[in-house]
Amino acid sequence: MTTNAPVRPTSPEVLPDFDIDRKKSGGRRVLEAVNTPTGTIGIALVIVVVVGLVWEGGGFTSSDNLANVGTFLAIPLIIATLSSIALLAGVVDLSVGSMVGFAAALFVQFVNKGYSPWIAAAITLLCAVIAGSINGLAIVGFGAEPVAATLGMLTALRGLCQVIVGPTGLSTALVLGLLEFTSKAYGPLPLLFLLGLALVAVVSILVGYTRVGRHIRASGGDARAAGRAGIGASRIRFFALILSAFGAGLGGILYAGQLGGASNVLGTGLEFQVYAALMIGGYSILRGGIGAPIGGLFGLLVVAGVQNIFDVKAINPYYLNVVIGLLLLLTVYGDRLRGGDRYE
Amino acid sequence: MTAQLTEAGPRAGGPRVRWFEAGTPIALAGTWLVLIVASALHRNDFLSHGTLLSIAFTMAVTGVLAVGQSVVAISGGILDLSVPAALIIPAFAIADLLDDGFSSGFAVTIGVLAGAGWGLINGLIIVAGKINPIIVTLGSNFVGVGVLYVLQKQAAVPTASGLRTWGQDYLFGLPNIWWPMLILIVVVGVLLPRTRIGRRTVAVGGNPVAAKARGISLRKTRLAVFTFSGTCGGIAAVLFSASTPQFVPTDSSTFLLPVIAAVIVAGISLSGGRGSVLTLLLSVGLLSTVPTALVFFGLNSNWQIVFQGLILIIAVSIDGRSQKKAK
Repeated sequence: MTTNAPVRPTSPEVLPDFDIDRKKSGGRRVLEAVNTPTGTIGIALVIVVVVGLVWEGGGFTSSDNLANVGTFLAIPLIIATLSSIALLAGVVDLSVGSMVGFAAALFVQFVNKGYSPWIAAAITLLCAVIAGSINGLAIVGFGAEPVAATLGMLTALRGLCQVIVGPTGLSTALVLGLLEFTSKAYGPLPLLFLLGLALVAVVSILVGYTRVGRHIRASGGDARAAGRAGIGASRIRFFALILSAFGAGLGGILYAGQLGGASNVLGTGLEFQVYAALMIGGYSILRGGIGAPIGGLFGLLVVAGVQNIFDVKAINPYYLNVVIGLLLLLTVYGDRLRGGDRYE
Repeated sequence: MTAQLTEAGPRAGGPRVRWFEAGTPIALAGTWLVLIVASALHRNDFLSHGTLLSIAFTMAVTGVLAVGQSVVAISGGILDLSVPAALIIPAFAIADLLDDGFSSGFAVTIGVLAGAGWGLINGLIIVAGKINPIIVTLGSNFVGVGVLYVLQKQAAVPTASGLRTWGQDYLFGLPNIWWPMLILIVVVGVLLPRTRIGRRTVAVGGNPVAAKARGISLRKTRLAVFTFSGTCGGIAAVLFSASTPQFVPTDSSTFLLPVIAAVIVAGISLSGGRGSVLTLLLSVGLLSTVPTALVFFGLNSNWQIVFQGLILIIAVSIDGRSQKKAK
């Protein structure tokens, strides 16, 4: 029963190794590194890149294509990285997809009312935080099932988004500064994607090497044990849910800037893609304390890579969902074989 | 409700007086009545046959799906997130068969079997892979709806078909498609605590370790539960295709939330082993009245979605609260 160990295989040295005398061979070290969620998804990523290179040729790694993938991935990466903290703390926030649409609609509405974009963004983020606190109140305060409660929030926010956008289904507002910011690129990679990578690095350090991070993982792994160790799991989960809502709100504002407006379907289904990618990357939506931000990044890259191959090869885009679903089942099965939760 | 639960909980030794089980239906019926009276006071024309029909049409598909979902929840399977696929795949099969000139009876049979097959696949993955049902059904829903979109973009039920004619007809002033829902809820609600397989389902949900120790096969029960849930999807697909002329693969996704809400509002706990399927009749009725009532209060369909979501959040919160206190 090592499932609750706060640090799961991400750093192989921590694994109990009883034959200390024997020196680990290089091969065994590699095997151990591969036999972690992050290792497996890393291999999957390599496979996707190789398939892409073989099938598409050099075009797959051309700067144009990298820019495409980067632009496509940047905002989901920011949203996913902040939501992954909630997963780590043991709560899942399915409402992020609608939160994106809601925040974009709200931001555009305020900008159109004549507010400065900064104030509009501040009000929007405040509303996102309020929605996040409602999630937190229901889940942490009342002990509601996170999947069901945030599914309710997902629906409620989608409704509000449609109410705000109005019957046309589309409202536009061009914020030049934000458009410039979201479309800026250094070399082939867009600035937003680089910022997303920086966020992944910051969150990796936060959850991997700091006290707060250890507390987050502990409260996700076993809230009761964490409580006995003096860690306020409830408070951590509450703030994690707010952070997740904040990230999705920010993502919504960025989308509104990038697209020059908001629509009533913006962000639909994003939650499932983000969480499927995070689960493929080693997180679990049912059990906290496992997963690493870098794995989440790999998971998103795998999904984006497959999507890119499908795009270029003009394969029916609906196959993507099939691939995501199968990958999801395979990874969770792999995690189970590795000693993850058995469902019996 | 919750107060009664805590008071009755420790003293509920007597098997006959179970107040906490009566609390939810009474509260639901009361809320439903208040909603109807309030809407009728606001707009006199609320109490009409048209309103009744609209509510009954909304109830039918949701109610049938909710039966499958409740059995999953009672058996400790938490949630079956593949409801959209379990509904729409059989619906496409039915529409295509009718389009190819097969008889309605044949199409309906194949549709229900397709639903059962879908549930069986879910169950096999869960049992063989020992993977949590939420993740399995999340993944299988992706795959199912994805494959359907690849194969076919939309389907239409021929207007001349027997199923379509039946779906537009009425019995005792209520739509034909309402009655199978009523029968299913009553039959499952009555049989679940009274048959061997039903009691096993409840036992597995309440305490799987104890159930296993008593020789109940968890695998067989789980397989049966998910096959049943899929079958409910197939039956719902029959009612859905009988009342919907045209549909696309994503049309069924709107059903997931009302179904989950209905199950939780009915007091069927997501942690398993608790709740009565009969209460579904009240919760589905209440939740199906809300959209119609909102229209009479002058709010458009977007607000209906907002309310649906809020109702779900409140219901899960109450469920969570009673779980906490019961511990």
